[in-house]
Amino acid sequence: MIQPYKKRKIDQALARQEAPPPEKPVTIDIADGPAIPRPSDPGLYSAWKFVMIATPLIMIYLTTYDQIGGFIVRHLPEFFWRGNFLEDWALTERNAYRAFFFFMPDGFQVTFQVTLFSIPVAVFLGVITGLCRISRRRPINLAASIYVEVVRGIPLLVQLFYLYYALGRLITIPPLGSAVLAISFCYGAYMGEVVRSGIEAIDRGQREAALSLGFTPFQAMFYVILPQAVRTILPPVGNECIALLKDSTLVSVLAIADIMRRAREFATISYDYFEAYTMVALVYLFLTLLLSKLVSKMEGRMGSYERR
Amino acid sequence: MGGQPVIVMEGVYKYFGDFAALTNISLNIEKGQKLVLVGPSGSGKSTLLRAINRLETIDHGRILVDGQDIYDPGINLNQLRTRMGMVFQGFNLFRHKTALENVTMAPRKVLKMSAKEADRRGLDLLHKVGIADKAANYPAQLSGGQQQRVAIARALVMNPDIMLFDEPTSALDPEVTHEVLDVMVALAREGMTMAVVTHEMGFARQVADRVIFMDQGQIIEEAPPALFFENPRSDRTRTFLRQILPF
Repeated sequence: MIQPYKKRKIDQALARQEAPPPEKPVTIDIADGPAIPRPSDPGLYSAWKFVMIATPLIMIYLTTYDQIGGFIVRHLPEFFWRGNFLEDWALTERNAYRAFFFFMPDGFQVTFQVTLFSIPVAVFLGVITGLCRISRRRPINLAASIYVEVVRGIPLLVQLFYLYYALGRLITIPPLGSAVLAISFCYGAYMGEVVRSGIEAIDRGQREAALSLGFTPFQAMFYVILPQAVRTILPPVGNECIALLKDSTLVSVLAIADIMRRAREFATISYDYFEAYTMVALVYLFLTLLLSKLVSKMEGRMGSYERR
Repeated sequence: MGGQPVIVMEGVYKYFGDFAALTNISLNIEKGQKLVLVGPSGSGKSTLLRAINRLETIDHGRILVDGQDIYDPGINLNQLRTRMGMVFQGFNLFRHKTALENVTMAPRKVLKMSAKEADRRGLDLLHKVGIADKAANYPAQLSGGQQQRVAIARALVMNPDIMLFDEPTSALDPEVTHEVLDVMVALAREGMTMAVVTHEMGFARQVADRVIFMDQGQIIEEAPPALFFENPRSDRTRTFLRQILPF
């Protein structure tokens, strides 16, 4: 007969042999769009804070420097070297930065419209595409894969022209509609890949456990897998949304008066090219950084159940 | 014993590519019986267990559960699976749900039971596996032994006819293994039909009605535990037992 203590040791040795490796948390990081400022990345976190404070400060300074003594600051070297500040004082300063903002409101509105209409459509298309891409039914999988391959192989700018001009021969689409259609069609494919990899990152065991309890494959997907995949999917999808906001500037080539196009119009009239594009750059920088912080906040809230 | 068979396997073959995971497996599990499957890694024990509730599809042969062929096209597979509780090596608790929600989810979504009734049953079962005080905790906040006990409660909630255990203690720290084994022994005493893949020979000795030794996808030997451990018939079994019980 075997001694109990020895038997126990052998059992344990055997058990260790087949124990699965400890699970690692999965995060998907995709490099277009600004990086998400996570507290775990101190360098990026402070960079975010720095730029986030600097950007609005620069905008406020540029639009108001002629009113709150900024004029003096700007001409400080001349005061010292030339001393003829009276001559400068006499010049009427026309602040092109501020003028740009007065010129712009409709541009902001259009950019927000394009972005806000495109995001839900793109996310919806992305979830459908992602689910079809993991389908074991060949035709469904093939259709989704062709969609992804085609869209990813064609630049968004070309897709925009194509939808606007080529399809314009067959059906008439209003400019805003075609812009939203093209952008969400394009980003739906990108997001589809994110959704697919997010679902695939969920341990197979979750699905098996659900099936063994009598869930249908559909129930397993919607009650067990997708709610968990959201946590992994959310940061890259948020990133895609920010990239979408940035790429919405491309619609300025169509007859759509977004921020970018209005800036060009402003510059054409006033010849203040530098001022106009400086403001555009600052506005987009501010918006994208704000959104990236929002994504990071949401991300922190989603994963609460994994905290020990 | 000698009741009606809950599980019948007849000439089951399963291939992964060229690799034969199961070769000509035939066995019956009768109501109330405790079957323990042992064998070296990769011998097909887990595959056999997973084939019973069709988590693995088989290539030849028949598997009957309560007399119904699980490959019958007219069968409701999801409904059939509710009659078999499965406990996995890696626990596989739903990580976004609390312990109680893990247990109540299947009755609520599959049986459309009311939240109140499901909660009552869930708490009863958590109490039974000795973990009712952790009902509101998420799996990430539970130890391996606690998670596996929740997983057992979750499998029991559908009132299965048979419980399938796929190496339930292999992923656990040795010092908490007994938590789970105690629950399984209690379950066996209540008369639950069980099929257990395990390396815990002590458990096999104590609980099993029959021990099956598998190697390279084949059933090499099938015997009551006393006979199996004291006087194995085949050389292969003897070698295996000598390796894990060396003297």
